[in-house]
Amino acid sequence: MKKRSSPVVQRFLADKLATACLIFLGVEILLLLILPLFLGQDPNLTDKTAGFWAPPSSAHLLGTDDVGRDILARLLYGGQISLLVGYLSAILGTLLGVPLGLLAGYKGGKWEYWIMRACDTFQSFPSLILVLCLVSLLGPSVWNIILVQGVLGWSSVARLVYGSTLSVKKKEYVEASRALGATDKAILFRTILPNVIAPVWAAFPMKVGRAILSESSLSFLGVGLRTPQASWGNLMQNALELITLTTRPWAWIPPGLCIVITVLALLLVGEGLRKALNPRGNL
Amino acid sequence: MKHYIVKRILGVIPVFFGITLIVFFMMNMAPATIADAVGEGDASSAAMRAALEANLGLDQPILVRYFLWLKEVITGDLGLSYRTGQPVLRMIGQRVAPSLILTGTGVVWAILIALPLGVLAAWKPKSGWSKLASGLTLFSFSAPSFFLCLIAIFVFSVKLSWFPAANMYSAGSGGDLSDLIRHLVLPASVVCLGSLGNLVRQTTSAVSEVLGEDYIRTARAKGLGEWAVLWKHAFRTALIPVLTTILNHIPHIIGGSMVVERIFGWPGMGSLLFTAVNGRDYTVIMGTTAVVAFAVLVTSILMDIVYRLADPGMGWGGDRS
Amino acid sequence: MKLKKILALTLSLVMTCSLCLTACGSSQEEPSASSETPVNVNYGISNAWDSLMPYYSVSGSNYSRIIYDKIYDRLAYVQADGTCLPRGADSWESADDGYAILFELNKDAAFHDGTPVTAQHWVDTLALVTDPVCEVYGRAFLSGLVGTDDTGAAVAGEKLGAEVVDEYTLKLTFKTPVIPNEFLVDYNREIYVLPTHLLAEIPAAELMSNEFWLAPIGSGPCKFVSELAGSNLVLEANENYQLGAPGFDTLTITVMDKANLLTALIAGDLDYYAFGGSVSEENRPIAEEAGFTVLEGTVPATFYELMLNNESISDAKTRQAINLALDKELLCLQSAGSMGFVTDTSILPGTAYSGPEAENVYDVEAAKALLAESNYAGETLTMACTSARASLAALIQQNLNEAGLNVQIETVDSSTMFAGMYDGTYDMAVASHTPTTLPLWFTASRFTEDNNLFRVADLSYYTQILDMIQMETVEEARVALVDEFEAYLAQEVPFVPLWFYYSLHVQSNTVTGIDYPSSSYCNENVWQWVKEG
Repeated sequence: MKKRSSPVVQRFLADKLATACLIFLGVEILLLLILPLFLGQDPNLTDKTAGFWAPPSSAHLLGTDDVGRDILARLLYGGQISLLVGYLSAILGTLLGVPLGLLAGYKGGKWEYWIMRACDTFQSFPSLILVLCLVSLLGPSVWNIILVQGVLGWSSVARLVYGSTLSVKKKEYVEASRALGATDKAILFRTILPNVIAPVWAAFPMKVGRAILSESSLSFLGVGLRTPQASWGNLMQNALELITLTTRPWAWIPPGLCIVITVLALLLVGEGLRKALNPRGNL
Repeated sequence: MKHYIVKRILGVIPVFFGITLIVFFMMNMAPATIADAVGEGDASSAAMRAALEANLGLDQPILVRYFLWLKEVITGDLGLSYRTGQPVLRMIGQRVAPSLILTGTGVVWAILIALPLGVLAAWKPKSGWSKLASGLTLFSFSAPSFFLCLIAIFVFSVKLSWFPAANMYSAGSGGDLSDLIRHLVLPASVVCLGSLGNLVRQTTSAVSEVLGEDYIRTARAKGLGEWAVLWKHAFRTALIPVLTTILNHIPHIIGGSMVVERIFGWPGMGSLLFTAVNGRDYTVIMGTTAVVAFAVLVTSILMDIVYRLADPGMGWGGDRS
Repeated sequence: MKLKKILALTLSLVMTCSLCLTACGSSQEEPSASSETPVNVNYGISNAWDSLMPYYSVSGSNYSRIIYDKIYDRLAYVQADGTCLPRGADSWESADDGYAILFELNKDAAFHDGTPVTAQHWVDTLALVTDPVCEVYGRAFLSGLVGTDDTGAAVAGEKLGAEVVDEYTLKLTFKTPVIPNEFLVDYNREIYVLPTHLLAEIPAAELMSNEFWLAPIGSGPCKFVSELAGSNLVLEANENYQLGAPGFDTLTITVMDKANLLTALIAGDLDYYAFGGSVSEENRPIAEEAGFTVLEGTVPATFYELMLNNESISDAKTRQAINLALDKELLCLQSAGSMGFVTDTSILPGTAYSGPEAENVYDVEAAKALLAESNYAGETLTMACTSARASLAALIQQNLNEAGLNVQIETVDSSTMFAGMYDGTYDMAVASHTPTTLPLWFTASRFTEDNNLFRVADLSYYTQILDMIQMETVEEARVALVDEFEAYLAQEVPFVPLWFYYSLHVQSNTVTGIDYPSSSYCNENVWQWVKEG
C-alpha cells in the first residue's frame, strides 16, 4: 500500500482542477488566519463613528452591519469558525465511523447486527433535524455543533468501511495472515484497514463540505452559535429582512459565495482523490 | 416473497426501538425545562410546577417513563403540545400534506430533469449535456439551500415580481390550485435543485456502466438503433440505482426542505419543527422527529420491496446493505 | 416490461398523491359556497398564538391575546391613550368606597350560539378560572379579587369577589380600593367571558385539554371557522355583535415571518398585520414608496428594560454600574432609530407622575469606579434575549464589557426567557412591555412575593410603598409617594429602564376604520373595520 502512495499523489496532481482546488483550500485557510491580523478590525466591536449599516468604504471594505461591526472582519472570523466546524466534525465522524465499520465487517455476528442496526437507526433521521434538536438541547456553542455533527456523522463512514471490509475479508492475503497466526487486532489494523481506507479518504472532503453546509444552515436559522460569534451562515441572517436583501447585497452575497466556493473546491478535491485512489473507477 | 416482507419488517423492529430510544433520550436531556418554560406568571409557583411535572410523568423513574411513553407512541398518542394544548399527532397531521406537496413536487421535478439529463450525459460523455450535468451536480452539492432561497426571492420575487416570496396560498385566497402552484414554484425549485445533483450523478454513472456492458455492445452490433438501446436496455437497468438514490436521500431531502419551509413560510412539518424548537415545545419536537424517522423507515421498506419487484434477479433472500 | 410498469406505477403514484393532497388541501380551505364572493380581510401576524382557550396561553404573549380579542368579548375597549370605551359592559362605576366595581353589561351581547351573555356567565367564568383544580396559565391578575390567594386561585371557604347583582349587572370586589379605569387599563386584556353554559358538563380539571377549544364559541366580534394550529385561523364576522357587525365577511389570520409582513402587505396578500401594522423606521420608506401612508404613534407603545437578577447581582453598586455603563442613546438608536427616547423610569412621560426628561447618564469611568467598590469579582453574567434582539444584546454586551463586566448571551424565546428570570437561570434579560398611563403599571405586579421577577431578597419596602400608593386616593400625596418610590428605584436599580418607543403604523389601503395605535392594548376595533367587496 505504501509503495502505491506516490502514484496516487502523481495521479492526483495530474488532475489540474483538483490540485488547484486543494491549493485554494490551503490558501483559504492561510488567508482566513492571516488577513484578520492585517485588517486590524475586531469582528465583535461596534465602530461608533461609522454607525449602523454603513455602506462599503475604505474604512470598512464591506461596510458595517446592524450593530456597526465591520462585515469583512466578521466574514474572516466567521470563515475560521465555519471551516473549524467543517473539518473537525468530519474528522470526529471518521474517527468514530472507521473502527465501528471495521468491527461490524470483520467480526460479523452480533457486532455486525447491532452496529448496522444502529447505522440504520441514525440514518432514519434527517441529519439536519437531529442536529437542530440536539444543538438546541445542548445549548449554542462551536464545540457543541462539532460534537453533535461529529458524533452523528459516524454512520455513513461506518457503512462505507463495513462494505469494503466485507469484501476484503474474504481475500487471500487476509486468510494467509490469519493462517500465519496474526491476532485479530493485527489483521484489522495492518491488513484490512489499509485496504479499506481509500474510499474513506475519497469521501472525506465531501463530508467536510456537508458539515460546513449543515453548520451554516443551523447558524442561518439562528440555532448554532452564541451571539455575537460570527459564521458564514449567521452573517446571512439579516438578508431575511427585505431592506437588507434588496439594498445591501454586500452584506449577504459574500458569505454565500464563500460557502459555495469552499464546498465546491472540497467536492472537486474529493473527485480528484476518488479518481487518484481508484484509477480503474470501480469505487 | 411474503416471507421476505415479513423478514424485512421484523428486521426493522430494532431500528424502531433505536429511534424511540434516541427520541426519548433527547426528551430527557431537558426535562426540567419543560416545566420551567411555562410562561410568565404562574410558572414560579412550586405547586403548579409539581402538578405539571406529574402531568408530564416527570416524577417517575426513567425506565418506567420510557415504557409508558412507548406505549403511548405505539397507540398513536404523541401527547399534547404544551404550547397550543392540541394533540401533537393532530398538529403533525395538518402539516403532512403541505410538506408532501413541497418535497414531492421538488423531487418529481428533479427526477424529470435528472433522468433524461443523466442518460444524455452518459450517452455522449463529451457533449454539452455532459458538461451541463456535471455543472448542475456540482452546483447542487455546493450551494446551501438558504442561499438559493434568498437568491430566488431576490431575483424572482423582489426584482421580477413573478412569484410570491412567502406562504402556500395568498392569504384568504380560498386555496385554488393556480394560486398554490404560483406559491410552489420557488420553494419547490430550491428543493429540486438540492436533490438534483445526486440523481444526475447516479443516473449518469449507472447508465454509462450499463453502456459498457457486453450485451449492449452486442445489441448495438446487431444494428439496434441508438434510442432503442438507450431506452430498452440502458435506461431500464440504470433505473434501480436511481431509485436507490432517491430512497437513500429522502432524509436529506426532508432535512433540507426544513430550511426552505422556514424561509418561504411554508406551513409544513419543517416550519412546525422550527417553531417548536424556538418555543421549546418539546412534545412537538420529539413527535415530529419521531414521525419523520418512522416515515423514512417505512418508505425504505416499501422502496425495498418495489426494488425487488423491479429486479427479480435480486431474489428475496439477502440483505440490501 | 415488468419494470416499466412498476416505474410507471411508482411515478404516477407519487404524482397522483401530490395532486390529491393538493386538491384535498385546497378543498379544506374552500369557504362555504355562497352566491356572492365573500369579502375577506387578510390579517398577518408574526408569531403564532397558543391554545384557543384564552386562559390557557402558555406564552402569555400579546400574539395570543390579540387573537382571543376577536373570538371572545371583553368588558371594555381600551384606547391607546388609556380611555376605556364600552364593549361587553356599557358602563361601570365604583362602589363600596372604591372596593368594588359595578359593571352594567350590554343587553344585546350574545354568544355565537345565540345565548345572551349575562352577568352569570361572567361570574361563572371567573369562578371557573380561579378554581384551583383548573390548570389555567396566568391567573395572577385575579389575585386582586376578594377570595383569591396570591396566585389568583380561589381560597376554599371564602366567597369569590365576583357576584351577580342582577341579570345584567356584574359586581367585582377587591382586596384594596381600585379605580375602575385603572383596573380596565391594567387587566381588561386578560378577562374574557366564556360560554359557561356549554362547559358545565366538562370537569374543571379536564377543561384545558378539552376538544371544545379546537372549535371554540365565544361572544366576540368574530366567529371561529377553522384553524391550522400555528399557521392559520379563519374567522367569520359576527353579524350580531352588540357594537355592530364588522364590515367584512371573513377574517383570515396567517402567521408569517416578521420580515415578510410588509412585503405581503405591499404585494396585496395582506390587508393589515398585527400589531397596528407596525413598521420599523428603516422600512418606512419602502412602505411609503409603495403608496402606503405611515402613521406616527402619539403614545409610546413599547417600554424597553434590562431585567436584572437581584439575587445573583446582589450588590446595588454593581447594578448602578450596569445602569451607568449602558450607552442608552446608542442602544436606542440601534433598536428604535429616531422613534425612541431614553428613559430612567417606567413611568410614561406626560402624566402627573412623570419627572423631568431623562438624561443619558452613560459614564464608563463612573461605572468602573462603582464596580471596583462592589462585590463583583469578574464572574460571567448570562444575559438572555429573544432572537430578534440578538443584535441589541451584542451591543449591550460591548457596553458592559467596556466597564469590565463579563457577559455571555443566550438567545431563547420569550417564555423561556421569562421563566429563566423567575428561576434565576439568567442574570439579566432584555425585555419590552406595553406601557400604560398608570404610574405603577410596571412595578405593581413585579415586586410581589408571588411574582418576584427580579428576585429581590427583601420585598418589605416594595410591598409597603406599593400598598401605600395604591391606598392613597389624593393625587398630590400619591405623586409624592411615587416620587419617593422612584428615588428608591434609582438607588437600588432592580431593573434598568432603557427607552420608550413610538410605533409607526402602515395604514391599510383596503380596510378603513382601523384604530391602529390601540392595538398596543391587545384590542382591535374589528367591528368598525370596513372592506369594500
